[in-house]
Amino acid sequence: MAEFTLDCLGEACPVPLMKTEKKMGELSIGDVLVVSIDHSCAMKNVPEWARKQGHNVEIEEVDDGEWEIVIEKTK
Amino acid sequence: MEKKTESYDVVIIGGGAASLTAGIYCGRAKLKTLIIEKTLVGGLATYTNEIENYPGFPDGTTGLGLMDLFHKQAKKFGVDFKLTDVKKVSLEGDLKRVETFRNVYEAKAVIIGSGGKPRLTGARNEEKFLYDKGISFCATCDAAANTGKTVMVIGSGDAAIEEGMFLTKFADKVIVSVMHDNGNMDCNEIAKAQALSNPKMEFLWNTVVESFEGEERLDTVVLKNVKTGENLPVKVDSCYLFIGYLPNTELFQGILTMNRGGYLITNERMETNLPGVYGIGDVRDKFLKQVATAVGDGAVAGYGAEKYLSECEIFEKQVMNEGNPSLVYIYNGIDAHSRELLPAFKELEETRKDMRVSCIDIYKSDGIAKRLGVHNSPCALWIKGSKIQGKIEGEITQDQIENMCRES
Repeated sequence: MAEFTLDCLGEACPVPLMKTEKKMGELSIGDVLVVSIDHSCAMKNVPEWARKQGHNVEIEEVDDGEWEIVIEKTK
Repeated sequence: MEKKTESYDVVIIGGGAASLTAGIYCGRAKLKTLIIEKTLVGGLATYTNEIENYPGFPDGTTGLGLMDLFHKQAKKFGVDFKLTDVKKVSLEGDLKRVETFRNVYEAKAVIIGSGGKPRLTGARNEEKFLYDKGISFCATCDAAANTGKTVMVIGSGDAAIEEGMFLTKFADKVIVSVMHDNGNMDCNEIAKAQALSNPKMEFLWNTVVESFEGEERLDTVVLKNVKTGENLPVKVDSCYLFIGYLPNTELFQGILTMNRGGYLITNERMETNLPGVYGIGDVRDKFLKQVATAVGDGAVAGYGAEKYLSECEIFEKQVMNEGNPSLVYIYNGIDAHSRELLPAFKELEETRKDMRVSCIDIYKSDGIAKRLGVHNSPCALWIKGSKIQGKIEGEITQDQIENMCRES
């Protein structure tokens, strides 16, 4: 159960989502991916996609307009 | 992965209008407060484009704009926000636990403002097409995608008709399935008149959904006429359900008292059946579900939680005196007769250093009296080893008090 990070700061939609999808494919069940974003649109579509896949999701506002999306791969 | 445990004074589940208000009250009372929201802060109100009846905004406001102000105000008072799902709760006992997938939050008080979720029709194949496959619940969210299309709206309440009319700005045709007889709708009269005269809107009366059909995506909704029993397949590009809400209370099943619909039962102080646990906003069984009433619920629960927490502390430290001898006088400050004994207790406080003397006024809050099982005042209690050893009610004399403290 490892933790991975993905830096998407400064990247606009749909790049963060595409990167997240790709990275999640490489993870094993139980692994956690922390995606850093600062584009508010990604703050919607990345968690939405992850939830639909059935993964556990948590969003943390680390700074004003900067978020970390924590995704735990469940299947 | 080991879950990290964090301590708060108050944990609020849900991030809508009621929860944000409770957060503002708790934050302002200097309580360490956490709001846990599963999707986006603002709740159901953010789905409404126009809010015309929330006081203080004579020119109207948007749901998103209004909730953004609530959010800012809560943040200003130092409320923490976590955007994730609550997985498990344990609410019995003095220390309550709220678990997310990464953390365990411990708190003395929990406020539940988890709101509701859209009700489904229960028709055949419904799950196959939910959200991005043709059945959705938010016209404003994906209206532009319906440009030039034919869409169906299920329901005839305010949400159904207003969102339906909004969709006519994009779609070629909006077909509304109404369960009632011709001309009968659940929405307000103004919306009804506008909808009936809208050339892009078509009404199918006495119909309910029988099934949803399509390959990958929804392409046909089969309606059933409730009068004739006849099935009517209608080709559509997407379908919106506006047939009410269900409360988000699965987590509290068997723990908190609910009505038949699953809404939490609270008293006028927003207290549930468990001490220190409050229910507010749309998740609560109540008469009117609006931002204006949610705000009232939140304020009451925020204030209640603050009182509860300070009473917890007084109760442990002072009344129970952490197991040491304690003499407690419960009185009502507005009752002159019960005030007469106060000097006697003051005197005992001076002379008897072997015990703690507390005088509790129930005029503002009867929380501590309730915890002690006292319903009438005045009442004097003798407590030792955190247990009530003696009790005098009604006509209390100084001798009786002194005897009670001596005996034990």
